[in-house]
Amino acid sequence: MNEELDSQLSAMFDDELPAAQCELLARRLSRDESLKARWGRYAVISAVVRAERGVRLNAPLAGRVNAAISAEPALGNHAVAQPRPRSALRWWQPLVGGALAAGVAAASVLWLRAQGPLTTLPLVAQRPPSNVRGAPVLNAGASSASLANASYVTPSTPAVRPMLVPSTQLANYVVAHSMVSSPVARRNLLSSFITSEPPAAEVQELNDHAARTAP
Amino acid sequence: MSADVSDLSLVRRVQRGDKGAFDALVLKYQHKLVKLVMRYVRNPAEAEDIAQEAFIKAYRALPQFRGDSAFYTWLYRIAINTAKNAVVSRDRSPIEYDLDRNSDESYDMQGRMKDSETPEGLVLTDEIRSTVNAAIDALPEDLRTAIVLRELEGLSYEEIAAAMDCPVGTVRSRIFRAREAIDRRLREVFEGGLGRAEELG
Repeated sequence: MNEELDSQLSAMFDDELPAAQCELLARRLSRDESLKARWGRYAVISAVVRAERGVRLNAPLAGRVNAAISAEPALGNHAVAQPRPRSALRWWQPLVGGALAAGVAAASVLWLRAQGPLTTLPLVAQRPPSNVRGAPVLNAGASSASLANASYVTPSTPAVRPMLVPSTQLANYVVAHSMVSSPVARRNLLSSFITSEPPAAEVQELNDHAARTAP
Repeated sequence: MSADVSDLSLVRRVQRGDKGAFDALVLKYQHKLVKLVMRYVRNPAEAEDIAQEAFIKAYRALPQFRGDSAFYTWLYRIAINTAKNAVVSRDRSPIEYDLDRNSDESYDMQGRMKDSETPEGLVLTDEIRSTVNAAIDALPEDLRTAIVLRELEGLSYEEIAAAMDCPVGTVRSRIFRAREAIDRRLREVFEGGLGRAEELG
């Protein structure tokens, strides 16, 4: 046996042989049975040094695999996996994606419309009459008992609509923001701003202010 | 040296229809694969069956292997999946098996009882192991250090050269000579062992 060849085989087993020499030796290794047997013994040495206990070192596994592979068709007839060409992509795949996006957008618009405009009138209406100075009582001619039970009063001035008009501070922020933001971001900000519900404390403050300033 | 070059050159040959190159890959990795599968099944014979199935699956799937990962990494995944499927299909869980195992001693006893089904296999395996270990012990210090650093520690030739303070070519030569010395002893055992197995049969 050529010593240089065996030395190359040892280096190839360790994955330390240059690629060009590997190609040549792989060709020879696949055909030369004595070289293959030596290769197999190198693997046995490796298994022993690594103390792979429980593994039968003389198992006829390679022979059994070889027999099974012999019955298989050679792989040379198959093309090695390559990236799929673009022409193979189905033409309707981009359309499905667009249709899905449009559907989601339409559902979002419908849902927003179904929510309707926000109103706070019931909050104002439930204020006790004694707290509203000069507010005309609807059923002025009724008895005091019925007056005490009355729960609906109409403010003399139109109620402030705190929900529909943004506060000055936020409006200023939107204007300032619109100078630097993109149209899409601006629209999103406005949408969320209009549909958002202000905190209850702010509503209470506005209602108190309306009550105080009422004639 | 780029990793996995030798495996890749063998894989490319198999992909071009050279079945003999696949034998070399099986010979190289059969012990590692059986050892891997034995994490799931303790019976060596069953582990060999599963490893065989994994190798055949790998052969059939080889046209899809592009070399993005190392061949053994790819083979490892196939073997793990095959072992898991085998355990599930036989309704046998490795955890249940571990519960039966009280200690390493009892495991060794179980392993030996399984191996006793093929006594000649057990004798040969033990003989191979003791022969290789004796041959390694008999090596000169520089050869033994080189082969152990390579096989046990998994160091590259360059790393071994740095550790042993010698050129890479010397490392390659030392590892080759160590393997040759062990292989000479091993061949005698294999030839004698095969003859004895025939007698036993």
